[in-house]
Amino acid sequence: MRKDARQKVVLATVLASITMVLAGCANLPATTMYTYGDHATRILDLLMIVFWMAVAVFVVVQGALVYTVVRFRNKPAATTLPKQIHGNTKIEIAWTIAPAIVVLIIAVLTFRTQAANSVMPPEAIKIRSVAHQWWFEFQYFNQDGVSLSTPIVVDDQNQPTITTATDMYVPVGVPITVQLDAADVMHNFWIPKIAGKTYMIPGKSNYLTFTVTEPGIYKAFCAEFCGEAHAQMHFRLIALPAAEYEAWKANVSKIPAAATGTVQVLGLTGDASRGAALFADAKKQCATCHIINGTDAKGKIGPNLTYLGSRTALGGAILPYSVDNLAKWLQDSNAIKQGNLMGRVIKKGTLTDQEVADLTAYLDSMKLSVALPAEK
Amino acid sequence: MAIAEQKLTSTAPTTKESFQWRSWLATVDHKKIGIIYIISAFIFFIIGGIEAMLMRVQLGTPNSTFLSADLYNQLFTMHATTMVFLVVMPMNVGIGNYVVPLMIGARDMAFPRLNAFSVWLFLGGGFLLYLSFLTGGATNVGWFAYAPLTQTQFSPGQGVDYWILGLGLTGVASIAGALNFIVTVLNMRAPGMTINRMPLFVWMNVVVSFILIFAFPTFTVASIQLLFDRQFGAAFFNPALGGDAVLWQHLFWFFGHPEVYILILPVMGMISEVLPVYSRKPIFGYSFVAFSGVGIGFLGFIVWAHHMFGTGMGPIANGFFAAASMVIAIPTGVKIFNWIATMWGGDVRLTTSMLYAIGFISMFIIGGISGITLASPPIDLQQTDSYYVVAHFHYVLFGGSILGLFAGAFYWFPKMTGRMLDEKLGKAQFWLMLISMNVTFFPMHILGTEGMPRRIYTYESGMGWEMWNFIETIGTFFLAFSVLMFIYNVLVSLRSGEVASNDPWDAATLEWVVPSPPPSYNFLHIPHVTSRRPLWDAKYPHTTADDHHGEKSAPSQIRYEYSHEDSPGAKEIHMPTLTFMPMVLSAGLTVAALGFIYINQAILGLPIRTASYVFVAIGIVMVFYAIRGWVLDSRRDSPYLGHH
Repeated sequence: MRKDARQKVVLATVLASITMVLAGCANLPATTMYTYGDHATRILDLLMIVFWMAVAVFVVVQGALVYTVVRFRNKPAATTLPKQIHGNTKIEIAWTIAPAIVVLIIAVLTFRTQAANSVMPPEAIKIRSVAHQWWFEFQYFNQDGVSLSTPIVVDDQNQPTITTATDMYVPVGVPITVQLDAADVMHNFWIPKIAGKTYMIPGKSNYLTFTVTEPGIYKAFCAEFCGEAHAQMHFRLIALPAAEYEAWKANVSKIPAAATGTVQVLGLTGDASRGAALFADAKKQCATCHIINGTDAKGKIGPNLTYLGSRTALGGAILPYSVDNLAKWLQDSNAIKQGNLMGRVIKKGTLTDQEVADLTAYLDSMKLSVALPAEK
Repeated sequence: MAIAEQKLTSTAPTTKESFQWRSWLATVDHKKIGIIYIISAFIFFIIGGIEAMLMRVQLGTPNSTFLSADLYNQLFTMHATTMVFLVVMPMNVGIGNYVVPLMIGARDMAFPRLNAFSVWLFLGGGFLLYLSFLTGGATNVGWFAYAPLTQTQFSPGQGVDYWILGLGLTGVASIAGALNFIVTVLNMRAPGMTINRMPLFVWMNVVVSFILIFAFPTFTVASIQLLFDRQFGAAFFNPALGGDAVLWQHLFWFFGHPEVYILILPVMGMISEVLPVYSRKPIFGYSFVAFSGVGIGFLGFIVWAHHMFGTGMGPIANGFFAAASMVIAIPTGVKIFNWIATMWGGDVRLTTSMLYAIGFISMFIIGGISGITLASPPIDLQQTDSYYVVAHFHYVLFGGSILGLFAGAFYWFPKMTGRMLDEKLGKAQFWLMLISMNVTFFPMHILGTEGMPRRIYTYESGMGWEMWNFIETIGTFFLAFSVLMFIYNVLVSLRSGEVASNDPWDAATLEWVVPSPPPSYNFLHIPHVTSRRPLWDAKYPHTTADDHHGEKSAPSQIRYEYSHEDSPGAKEIHMPTLTFMPMVLSAGLTVAALGFIYINQAILGLPIRTASYVFVAIGIVMVFYAIRGWVLDSRRDSPYLGHH
């Protein structure tokens, strides 16, 4: 009876463990177990080998522990002392060598994967990402002007051809090398399904090379604690087929057309041309921090808002893009993202609802036609 | 040797005796100091646990608004700081303080007053750290405090300064304590107790003391550089002014990784005492266990950059640190195999203490295995800064250190208090704690693999993280309940627990020779030691013949001592007298540190800056007063210099 019960407990534990492992393998939005980039795939391949070795070690050692305890549990009748064994040098040398062999195998496999993941092919497309508290900026350059041997430095002579934020567009099937920089504190660039983490360090450029294998929109995070709103510093990697990527590049480089049109938001009618005037109004301070290409808005503190109407997300990729969410953000960004820098200036009530509606209409009016892939 | 009736002394301290504050606040007795450490560390354990539970409630559901982002950031920073510096370290030191002199047959630590200074300074540091919650917010930059987030530009409050100076004080306390341990063990062992006869717990305390002396100064210097950055614009770690942010990481982890071994090695020492006693066998491979501890101590200094694989050190440096980190698996594996072999063929008695020791090994195996994947740079790049790491170090620090400390607590509680803890309640607590810690921490492996980053105060729904987070939160409540069971057990057992004899576990080492609790001078007669298990060999002389692996030992002459404070001959034993000076010195340093925090904050008003100068001045006066008093007290105390 007791033995039955024990067997049931063991069986239940085993089943529960298998369920847990399987649950870990579901294709969730940010899982590292379903990969669509060569960097992450090589890591996953290595992990699976190490995982099964770990399972073997776990079973052997944990099994030995449990077996020893169960077998040598004291019997109430035992009156004599157990044999006083002080050790056995041969056995001890053996079990010093055994883990050494295991880690040697893991080390060799590790170095192989590490070498493959450190390669920066010369044909790679070089993109620069700059991390800010608490959003990601992406800069694209004329590829003739960049080399992989020296860091890209942005100055008067070398300006990016495209500057955007939150959505990082890349072509599929081509190696991408991202130069990772930080404007303020340390951040960390992580696209779980595509590539492992790399720090973004103020004063030091890091590089990460990966190739995306399937079109899709991939979740990505800042993985290093970077202050109050760290939890809400995300971005999205949008991988497009090469032709569509080129089309996106060509379109996004154009100056947006003059703002026209209206949107219905907050129960009001927002007017894009009024919004454009508000944005340019120095008293409203929008242009102090933001850039919109082709206008006098040249602030460099916040993200470049050109073609905001085509972004997939807002506020550091924490709100899906919609005119309602854009209006909510403009009304009270502190309620959505505690600590965000805009919220220190544009607080709840700083802008009237009509102003919010007009700004929303203006920002939403700058749209590109991009056929977005599915979220992966 | 006074052999009297066992009843005479092995009873618990009589409750009629009024509790004397003075005898505690001015104590220089290593046992009382040890108990102050243990009680303080336990209180901090409860505080750190409450912080953890608040965080778990916040994370139990997506988009929760239970805590604000800033408060959550303060809590996770203080939870880690508390558990590392104010719980596991002082708990190890407290138990070591109590047990090590007894184990080596000494009457006290080598520097009793320095010992008192350490404990009060540790409390001063803890006080400063927690004071910051009331003075505008605790530090919220993580216990690793990566530059340049720690610069005043990004962290304008005083939380970081409180943290630097609070840890500075506990750091001085730790270094003083480590020196004390080293000198004590090297100089004050009973006759015949060679280095190779020392109990393994003593061994590990010596190893840890050396690690501390080499590792802690790096942190102290780095944090003072940071203080200079913040107070005087020194720019050591500020890249905007030409400093180097990565340098902080190197300095921090050069301390921070050996720190991990500071947390775990003494506990491994405890396990190495507990397992043989409850297996009724000697430790299997004494030398392997001792020297693997030494090996871990050395290797611990060349692996620090495995915390930094993602910082762009390059494949060569990453490869070196990966290889060194993996090598640590070897001595660690050796210890685990030796522990299992210690039980093999033994008469394994599953007391509560033994269950905790076995639980320690079992959980440490999991923590060790998950550590291997983190040692591999490519895998680490996916797992680092995700919940996988949180799972890993909670298996090592909770499954390892905390379970091991409970093993030590149930083992030595009778010696410290003269009462036994309730075994039935203890076993129930063990099973509840073991299960609930797995419910709390195991799903974190999965969450990390599913891409949940660390140190986030909230997460959106639809990521597939909801279920495991909710389960973890439930787990913490059961974990908290198991700690409450322990508190109840202690309180009840102190009043009405079974009275403990000198040697309730049929143990082997010298602390079990003396009464429970021991008299202030420990040993009426300093024992002569002839083997690794002096008490065991005295009890079971026929077993010493098997002693082929170690050195040959002569039959031991050790006998139980049933002495008490009034035993004949006790008056002849000279013990240092009570003195408040170590406490005054610690208080002076704490007051001066508190003043220094506000000394150069331009944004603060003149009254606060004036007050800060006054605090620094008062602190310095207290320090000099205490040093003078300390010197006079020691003169008075010396049998050679003072009165007689």
